[in-house]
Amino acid sequence: MGKTWRRTLAVGLAFLLAIAGTFVFAYRAGRRARHIRAENEPIRAWMSVPFIAHAHHVPASVLFQAIGVHPQEAHDRRSVRHIAHDLNRPVPDLIAQLQRAIDAAAQPPGGHPR
Amino acid sequence: MNDQLLAAVSQYGAPALFGIVTIAAIGVPLPITLLLIVAGSMISQGAMNLWWAIGMAGAGSILGDQAGYAIGRWGGPAVVAKLAGLFGRRASLPAVEAKAEAWGGPGIYITRWLLSPLGPWVNLASGTAGYPWHRFLFWDILGEITGAAVYISLGRFFSDRVMALYAVLGDLTWAIAALLVAIVLGWQLLARLRRAAAQ
Repeated sequence: MGKTWRRTLAVGLAFLLAIAGTFVFAYRAGRRARHIRAENEPIRAWMSVPFIAHAHHVPASVLFQAIGVHPQEAHDRRSVRHIAHDLNRPVPDLIAQLQRAIDAAAQPPGGHPR
Repeated sequence: MNDQLLAAVSQYGAPALFGIVTIAAIGVPLPITLLLIVAGSMISQGAMNLWWAIGMAGAGSILGDQAGYAIGRWGGPAVVAKLAGLFGRRASLPAVEAKAEAWGGPGIYITRWLLSPLGPWVNLASGTAGYPWHRFLFWDILGEITGAAVYISLGRFFSDRVMALYAVLGDLTWAIAALLVAIVLGWQLLARLRRAAAQ
């Protein structure tokens, strides 16, 4: 009898834990979903310059120009890591330069940020 | 490695997507949801065709799933145990096998896209349990096309918020998994309490 109750208690506790997990993850998903349009997309090493440009609503040519790269083709989709390797530069430096170019593009000359 | 796979899809498009989803469907843990979202974003940028992407992602996944099923069905228990052990799932395979038998078609469908980490193990388990191949193929095609269409469409819609969307979907998947566990445990708890009351 004691063993059965211990098992029932364990199942009950696991059930409460699962319910708590459901609410925690659902709340987190809901909170993130509400702010999905407000947060800036981070730049990652796997992203291509056109991909970053699209995510930040900046022309790709502006970003290519900022890092001193002439696109190899009309749709140059090399990753940031690939470009950094080609330029013999550290990836974080290139990402920082792209971020500065995005920030500058978002701020019109002599005005407030968009 | 994930960075390189994402870069490959970004640079080479649908053929890279096909290769990666095939490997993932066999059992190698790769971020397929994120890859499909990235593919959707690329469609929005005009760098990939929608139907081509859904077709390649669906075909790759189905091919990998069928390979997993074939290994389970004709590979024998030794091969299955070795493969499961290779990806650290040796202990959990019998449990998945029991679930595959109990859930049947809807279980196969749901593990194609909503609970996709379980997919490769359900493939192996369906094969070893002798689940009819034509039924497995039907639910597999249905599930994989659903998954490819849902995640690629979401990526297309939130094309400028790929990482944020991936985080939302990650939490949502955990919430659904926790809810399913809660339903199973709740049912068990109810049965135990009824038995105790009857005694």
